[in-house]
Amino acid sequence: MIRSVAVTLLFLPAVALAQRAYIDLGSPDFRPLALAVPAFQASPEAQAEATDTLQVLRDDLALPAVFELLDPRSFLADPREGFAASAIRFQRWSDVGAEGLVKAALRRDGTTLAGELHLYDVRAGREVLYRAYKEKTARALAHRFADDIVQYYTREPGVFRTRVAVVRRGKGTREIVAFDADGRYSEVLYRDSNILLLPSWRPDGGEILFTSYRGGKPEIWGLRLSDGNVRLVAGLGELSSGGVYSPDGRQIAFTASVDGNSDVYVVNADGSGLRRLTSDPATDTSPTWSPDGRRIAFISNRSGNPHIYLMNADGSQQKRLTFQGTYNQTPRWSPRGDLIAFTARDEKKVFDVFVVSPDTGKITRVTQDQGLTNEEPWWAPNGRLLVFVSDRTGRPELVISNPAGDRQRVVTTDASPLANPAWGPLPQ
Amino acid sequence: MYALGESAHRDRLWPVLLASLAMHAAVVSLGVLRRPAPVDMSQKPIIAKLVRLGEARPERWLPRRDAPPPEAAPPAAAPVPVPAPAAATPVALPAEKAKAAPPRPASTASGKGDDALSRVLSKVRKEQAMAKETWGDPSGSAEGTATDASEGNRYLALVTQALQSNYRLPATISEQERMHLGATVILFVEPDGRISNLRFERRSGNDAFDQALERAVRQTRLPPPPPELVRQYRTVGLGVHFHM
Repeated sequence: MIRSVAVTLLFLPAVALAQRAYIDLGSPDFRPLALAVPAFQASPEAQAEATDTLQVLRDDLALPAVFELLDPRSFLADPREGFAASAIRFQRWSDVGAEGLVKAALRRDGTTLAGELHLYDVRAGREVLYRAYKEKTARALAHRFADDIVQYYTREPGVFRTRVAVVRRGKGTREIVAFDADGRYSEVLYRDSNILLLPSWRPDGGEILFTSYRGGKPEIWGLRLSDGNVRLVAGLGELSSGGVYSPDGRQIAFTASVDGNSDVYVVNADGSGLRRLTSDPATDTSPTWSPDGRRIAFISNRSGNPHIYLMNADGSQQKRLTFQGTYNQTPRWSPRGDLIAFTARDEKKVFDVFVVSPDTGKITRVTQDQGLTNEEPWWAPNGRLLVFVSDRTGRPELVISNPAGDRQRVVTTDASPLANPAWGPLPQ
Repeated sequence: MYALGESAHRDRLWPVLLASLAMHAAVVSLGVLRRPAPVDMSQKPIIAKLVRLGEARPERWLPRRDAPPPEAAPPAAAPVPVPAPAAATPVALPAEKAKAAPPRPASTASGKGDDALSRVLSKVRKEQAMAKETWGDPSGSAEGTATDASEGNRYLALVTQALQSNYRLPATISEQERMHLGATVILFVEPDGRISNLRFERRSGNDAFDQALERAVRQTRLPPPPPELVRQYRTVGLGVHFHM
């Protein structure tokens, strides 16, 4: 018996050393946060603005898809009950399923609109956020409120005060138009009769680079937003296109074709210090910077088909990233650094949006069976949303989506074709 | 008093016992001194599925989703009419140039040989392949739903499914906290699939979240583990990383 015990004891460590298997479990079943946003209180002269602010705020909060906005018709509490937590009957709000309660008050202050935001935790029965602003318009006030609410719950900046620059084609003209993130308001920033394309923002939002034929061939120009002035940034070889600022705003990467060979170049923001990063005889194009500015992703067909490649910002260590598909284009590196969005043509000859991990090369599909063309993705500055062009409604419109593709919203209804969206930076 | 034979026998066993104790001490020391790898909570969850029985989708093709995305929401409201453009810097507008398209990479020729019949057959095969909507793996399951075999083995996939159905969080956990919560629980599974015990390897720091996990686990009945894993799951246990 002692021998048996001894033999057993000898082999016990083998049991202890057995590897434990682990599984990952995510995506719990929980509802988006239910928010009650009742009608805002307002002074008599600000009633119309209060209604506008409320509508814009509700539209904003529906965009990131982390909130469920409760139907105001179900509210039981008196929305005029006041702002002090002691005066609010939180049970009435809890009864309709609200977890958060948003109240606001507006009044006219000269030429500006003054607004106060109150956010309450219904279950805890207390106010958790208070903000006061003065803005020129109801929309601006609503976007501020929406950013604050998103920031409070997600601890990340909201993007409702950002804009998306896009090329719009009219009769004999091309325009760079800036849409609000919700697509409801647009401003023409630049108009030309020449072909223009591929806008991109400077990180501080003060300038937009674009490719234009206004000089007789494709060149990179810069539009200064403060006064509308344009300057020639780079015009190399037969064509230069697709200029993008580095995250620190000091350099510009772009594509240039010299003696018939298309390559990626970098130049300082003031136009000095031109250097060539790629020299392969194949077509190398479409650079995009990593958020730390140390690497650049680009497209090359050196393997026979266009695929995404990575390299250091000085052009060294070039290596292929994508090995699936036969026509991958328009890479855009997420500000979070974890994904690169791109357009690709699949085996059915449909163009769709995909994302790829720069670390593992794993490709995930964002759009599928949603029109013939979904293309040219660009990241929101918080890296949580994508904007791209889609023809699913019958004409090219802007669509905003989360990277997983399961929360998409068509945000524009413009009569003219839209192309090349570029999401601008957060307000400085 | 021991007989002489028994004494000699016992003397031979002592080295074995000492060796066993030494090995145990080494294992315990290893477990105490070695730091467990930090759990990467930014890692996306692996949702395991049964692999569908069928022909494997060509590796070089772009992936397809098993289910298409939900329909996109429409625009919120009619857009505000575009106002008159701001005064732009006057520029001389040269005559419109010939519309040259941006450079596109040269497409690769894909000839399959000079024989016309082989070209036709190749085209037919290609069209048939592309007409397929479902791909799988020759070693998959008739009940499988996954396209490839990279998403977990069969038993762990069933465990994941069973736990996922009970993984519910209370609405009282704020959205703010949800973004960062995670915990690791060790389950001890009996041969009949019953979870006889559980312990937290790592708590989340949020009592409501941890209590919800405990409820989810105790409500779950797992399938019986494969015979070769019964002992392991009963003694060593199965770890579950719960996160968002």
